Amino acid sequence: MLVVDHVRKDFGAVRAVRDVSFHIEAGSTFGLLGPNGAGKTTTMRMILGILTPDGGSITWKAERIDGRTRRRFGYLPEERGLYGKMKVREQIAFFGRLHGMVEPQVTTATASWIERLELPAYADRPCGELSKGNQQKVQVACAAVHGPELLVLDEPFSGLDPVNADILLGVLKELKAQGTTLVLSSHQMWQLEALCNEFCIINAGENRASGTLGQLRVAWPTRVIRVSPPTSAVRGILERIPGGHAIPSENGTLDFEVPSATTLPDLLRSLVAVDAVTLFEAVEPSLHDIYVRIIEERA
Amino acid sequence: MNEFITVYSAEMSRRLKSRAFRIGLIVGLAGVILFIKLPALLGGAFDTNGKTIVLSGDPALTARARTLLKKDFSIVGTSTQTSPPDPAFMKAHQDAGADVILARIKTGLRATVYARDPGNMDSTRLRRDLLPLNLQLATSLTQSRISSLLEMPVDIRTVASKFGSAAEADAARAVAYTLIFFLYFLILFNSQLLMSSVAEEKTSRIAELLVASIDPLALLYGKIAAAATLAIVQMVIWVVTAALLGGGASSGGAEAAAAPSSGALSGLGVIPPFELAGFFIFFILGYLQLAMLFASAGSLISRTEDLGSVSGPLIIPVIGALFIAIAALGFPDAPWIVGASLVPLIAPFVMFARIAVSNVPVWQVALSLVINVAAVWVISILAGRLYRVGMLLYGRTPKLRQVWATIRG
Repeated sequence: MLVVDHVRKDFGAVRAVRDVSFHIEAGSTFGLLGPNGAGKTTTMRMILGILTPDGGSITWKAERIDGRTRRRFGYLPEERGLYGKMKVREQIAFFGRLHGMVEPQVTTATASWIERLELPAYADRPCGELSKGNQQKVQVACAAVHGPELLVLDEPFSGLDPVNADILLGVLKELKAQGTTLVLSSHQMWQLEALCNEFCIINAGENRASGTLGQLRVAWPTRVIRVSPPTSAVRGILERIPGGHAIPSENGTLDFEVPSATTLPDLLRSLVAVDAVTLFEAVEPSLHDIYVRIIEERA
Repeated sequence: MNEFITVYSAEMSRRLKSRAFRIGLIVGLAGVILFIKLPALLGGAFDTNGKTIVLSGDPALTARARTLLKKDFSIVGTSTQTSPPDPAFMKAHQDAGADVILARIKTGLRATVYARDPGNMDSTRLRRDLLPLNLQLATSLTQSRISSLLEMPVDIRTVASKFGSAAEADAARAVAYTLIFFLYFLILFNSQLLMSSVAEEKTSRIAELLVASIDPLALLYGKIAAAATLAIVQMVIWVVTAALLGGGASSGGAEAAAAPSSGALSGLGVIPPFELAGFFIFFILGYLQLAMLFASAGSLISRTEDLGSVSGPLIIPVIGALFIAIAALGFPDAPWIVGASLVPLIAPFVMFARIAVSNVPVWQVALSLVINVAAVWVISILAGRLYRVGMLLYGRTPKLRQVWATIRG
């Protein structure tokens, strides 16, 4: 288990991370969310031991993170970079060796990752000649070639076209199935929602919310009710709910935001009593909705 | 250790393939060859005008003068003509550079030179070579008596020196002078290459991936060791080439005399083992000190355009050390030179210069080694701190105050 316990990091007078805490079960996939400058990258760097926290502690499987632990980690930084003149195959193998791999495993693993990321055509070309998307795939291979226990990916999908993003998503799902613990940050919420078991939303260097998507939804203060047909009788019932209000709808239904404490079976009974209701749906808030609300709430 | 070896071998491979290394090696090699061969080749070409002469006048005088002048001049003909020569005369005598007309006068010998390029005519050498004939004509002394008078024994001996003669000391000084330049070039060139390599990793943003994978110090030391290995390879190639070519030049006698620089390099073939060991040890010490400083400075920049601004302050002490080392060849035991031979960054150049030309007390060499090895250790700690932070620092190049705060940890 990765335990991040009240970590703090200052850069001179700037406090990049004030107080961030979470824990991640081994083998799970964790989404670290937050706006630009929230402290995500600094937190990730502290997890990897690149930066030392000024306060708090980070442990992996109950051990402090040191050089030996770090060899079992993989990292895809937000800022991409490769040796431009080094060939793709050499580059991936180099990072494998840096993490302690030896022959013949390193050659086998390199070849496997080249196949997995659909890079055989570029294997013997210098990385500098590749497109940005393909360079990013090479970086993913560099980060994961040694079969890390914990893989930290900072904005892994940024700059990828939809096809390559799908390839990467598939690779991450494979790693997840193999039991690799994944920590991701991304602004592409739908991808995180599809991939992660748990989330932590941070802003201004502090925790704002954390838990599974279900737990985050439970804490959500309202629900959206979608009803059809949007007759005046139906509208009348909904407008009587304290704190309820209509929200714009694009598909001819009546969308109404009501407090989460509203008892939905009772509401349905009331609606059916006044009209022939053909659609009654409670729309769960998406990760994107929750994220935007939490960030705006504290702004 | 595995991390270090991986970085070391990858860095070696990258550097061997790099254009900068290949160009540096070839340019250095070409420089060595030119340094040895060009002066002799060009010297011959430039001196042709002043050295090819026709001797004119009384055949008894020209025959005697021919013997005296042949070691310094190429005599292309003799003539009995005593009138000023015209271009046809010069052309007829293998396009000679000058016509030297000799005449006996009351006080001895008179030489009148008609040269195509009077500025290129070495009158001092001509006068010196003809002096025995002048004296013979003026005094009626015998030729052998004059020779013995002119060859007065002068025995120059040195006081408390490692050399048996002044000539030996001069040769050693010339070799040391050359080696100091080798030292300067090797250390500076390779330190700057290392700095560029660090800056490239920083600007290409691969640095973060590297420091996340391994200990930044293993990365730094692996790179430094790879660069040192290649610097030694370069050094061996250059020195062996110089020794081989210089050895050939030394057999040329007159050629070597005409080109003192090639004569200096010819001595590289017979460098005493102690001096060679000193060169190697101080090269390693100097390289390690500067390479670590250059590498950590390289880690502070975010754009390759900023390389000059951070390398400038580091080059100044190296240039200073070069000048002090050159001065040390002349005054190896001056108190300020002795002091400088202990100071880190400067000592590798100055102490080597002192070792090459004087008997440096063993305790001074030992003290310098201890201080400089300690300096390598201290610099490695400070440079490591700077490098560790610098590799993740993007944006404006930090100010000196921020650098100091980082070093202090």
